[in-house]
Amino acid sequence: MDELILNLKKEIIEVLNLEDLTPEDIDANAPLFGDGLGLDSIDALELIVLMEKNYGIKLEDASQGREIFKSITTMAAYINEHRTI
Amino acid sequence: MVKYPIYINGMGVISIQNPLDDSAIFAPQTYQESYVRCVDPNFKEYFDPMLARRMSLIIKRAIITANYALNQAGVEMPDAVITGTGLGCVQDTEKFLDSMIRNDEKFLQPAFFIQSTHNTISSQIAINIGCKSYNNTYIHRGVSFENALTDALLQMNKSHVSNVLVTGNDEMTPSYFKLLNRLSYWKESVPDTLKIVHQKESSGSFAGEGSISLVLSKSQNSKSYAKIDDLSLFYKPGGINVDKISEFLKQNNLDMDDISLFMTGLNGDSENDTVYRQFFDMFGENRIGFYRNICGDFYTSSAFGIYAAAVCLKSQNVPEYLIYSGRKLENPKHILLYNHFKNKDHSLILLTKC
Amino acid sequence: MEQQIVVSGMGIISGIGNNVDETLDALLNMRCAINGIKHIQTIHNLPCAEVAFTDKEMKDILSIPQSETATRTSLMGMVAVREALKSAKLTNWERLKVAFINGTTVGGMEKSELYYFDFLENDKYNNFIEAHDCGACTEKIADYFGGFSYVSTPSTACSSAANAIMLGAELIRTGVVDIAIAGGSECITKFHLNGFNSLMILDKNICRPFDETRAGLNLGEGAAYLVLESENLAKERHVEPLCVLSGYGNACDAYHQTASSPEGDGAVLAMSQALENSGLRPTEIDYINAHGTGTSNNDESEGRAVAKVFSERIPYISSTKSLTGHTTSAAGSVEAVVCVLAILNDFVPGNFNFSKQMEILPFSPQKDVLRNVKLKHVLSNSFGFGGNNSSLVFSKYR
Repeated sequence: MDELILNLKKEIIEVLNLEDLTPEDIDANAPLFGDGLGLDSIDALELIVLMEKNYGIKLEDASQGREIFKSITTMAAYINEHRTI
Repeated sequence: MVKYPIYINGMGVISIQNPLDDSAIFAPQTYQESYVRCVDPNFKEYFDPMLARRMSLIIKRAIITANYALNQAGVEMPDAVITGTGLGCVQDTEKFLDSMIRNDEKFLQPAFFIQSTHNTISSQIAINIGCKSYNNTYIHRGVSFENALTDALLQMNKSHVSNVLVTGNDEMTPSYFKLLNRLSYWKESVPDTLKIVHQKESSGSFAGEGSISLVLSKSQNSKSYAKIDDLSLFYKPGGINVDKISEFLKQNNLDMDDISLFMTGLNGDSENDTVYRQFFDMFGENRIGFYRNICGDFYTSSAFGIYAAAVCLKSQNVPEYLIYSGRKLENPKHILLYNHFKNKDHSLILLTKC
Repeated sequence: MEQQIVVSGMGIISGIGNNVDETLDALLNMRCAINGIKHIQTIHNLPCAEVAFTDKEMKDILSIPQSETATRTSLMGMVAVREALKSAKLTNWERLKVAFINGTTVGGMEKSELYYFDFLENDKYNNFIEAHDCGACTEKIADYFGGFSYVSTPSTACSSAANAIMLGAELIRTGVVDIAIAGGSECITKFHLNGFNSLMILDKNICRPFDETRAGLNLGEGAAYLVLESENLAKERHVEPLCVLSGYGNACDAYHQTASSPEGDGAVLAMSQALENSGLRPTEIDYINAHGTGTSNNDESEGRAVAKVFSERIPYISSTKSLTGHTTSAAGSVEAVVCVLAILNDFVPGNFNFSKQMEILPFSPQKDVLRNVKLKHVLSNSFGFGGNNSSLVFSKYR
């Protein structure tokens, strides 16, 4: 799980173009949206694409993202349970 | 078509010369290649990383030059934001297109698509400064900026409009440079970009890119650069002749002798330049000006021409780099700018010292 | 006193019809053109409203050699402009200054995406490189007819054609031109089909504008143009105006690159300006042709804005995008033609596929077409990505 969280941090930094951040800068339990990292609705869509491309998880409804993407930890937990790759 | 006196009160430019620096046209850099990219300011000084990550180069440059021009003009909120761009947001268009084709339409990142629509430039400026007023974008080849400027002047004709931000922006990516190279847009080698207009007769010029923002106002102030007296933008495939220019001047109660400088889009390409050369006798080599040797060739480079002309009118000096005969010119009063695209689209602009 | 700008002709081609008459028939009979995609190769099974003709068929109709370089967007444009010129009795206009103003965003992308690798690797399709940009598309259409003294390409995504119409009116008012053929053209491309899909705003079924269960938009394609001139000139040319372009407004939402502000600030401003520009009170508007794409965001934002501006009395309102699809850059003029037809033929276009009122809105759209309703003043909204919001007001002539 730790490895998945570290990988997720690296992937998120790359896909969302957070070039000034390193994995150490991101708190796995901090909120991703609003306060915390401060991501927005476009980032949410990008994360949906990331999940499908890297982990084979397809979300049909964008609103499902609200719960899944609460933090890196919640995201990792969901991926762990539903990944197909 | 101009109802009220219009002053250029603020200008911001990022180009292949030193950024945001009017003195650059008096001591311009020269290059030895046919593809030159902008000299950019340090973007980290201007943008929060969370916002900057969504902005391609063309957007960052546009926001910086827009704010610079507004600041200079002392305008907090313009009554309109109007953009001209020949190719729009190429970098992000390419990213999305490339990814779409290579990945067979799968796993596509929405951020690139959003950032690719051409009106994003104007809308990002509006979001950045919080401007809910009139907002428009024109994409019309080598006269894209003049299209935007025409709209800006139409807005200025309205009594409730005091200040308009009008901006010309284009970026040249390595891929697009390659595409245009297939169509002989660029010279094979360029020993000295400043001398491109005098380079041996052949096809092509050299590629540049840039962002040029102007703030137009109805009131003059001590910092005003120049007055825009008139603009005529028209479509005439096959070209114009001397009569058209005389007619334009006559409408403004001027004749050929009143023009201190005839500023052209000469760029070293034989076909392009032939069109301008037909007016050499009319004005003489000491009064023929150009600017694409300083900024490079891109679809909105005519905006740079207006910028350069306005700087010259304010400083009352036209440096030798901008004049065909190489003899600098002092105390310019009226500058007439003529730009054409493939001898189909034409623009005439009259700027006057204020 | 400022002259009235009138609409003296129009032309259109879209999924619901290849000309004005077919379009009217489709509107009166609520014929939906949203179906599978035929003209582009895509892995997606997303319903769209395509123009029936292939490029080959359009070249034949226009007597253009098959070998000639022409993008689908420009071919549709030529077909629609031809109808517009004919309807305004404009064949020979030597002494007049005529503008062609064409709103488009994709331009020649539908060819560029096909030949992308060739563009990079060889010279096989060089002729399409210069056909890619928006201005090239506009000039291709202009050159087919010849005689235009002013040619321009506003490009503000989904409000492009509405802005083209506004520019046309302004150029006439200032005397730069006497007549303006203004509107837009856009074909469906893989590029923006995938783009919208990546934003997850495309409905896998036929869209439901202003419906509580709406799930996104369907793309459409088409071209439409209005012929604009002063009332005096129309009289001189013995052409009976179809209606009046009473006013217009352009404002920016300045909120987000793609989403509209929840309260619809930009929409409120654009509609209010259009009303003020027309000298009309909100209660004088009889019908609103909404932008109404069917996305969660637009319909909420636009709905709130309409409720605010028309707080005293909400007029009939409908979106025709569930019939035509969202024709993006052409939408402003496609829907302008719809408005003119509604005024001329005394009907309110229906909001096809609507069933459940949105909980947050105090109104429902007009679901079925309503005949024998005299419309005096009509408002048309077009709201583009990036918050480019434009509204047009058309009024009955006399």
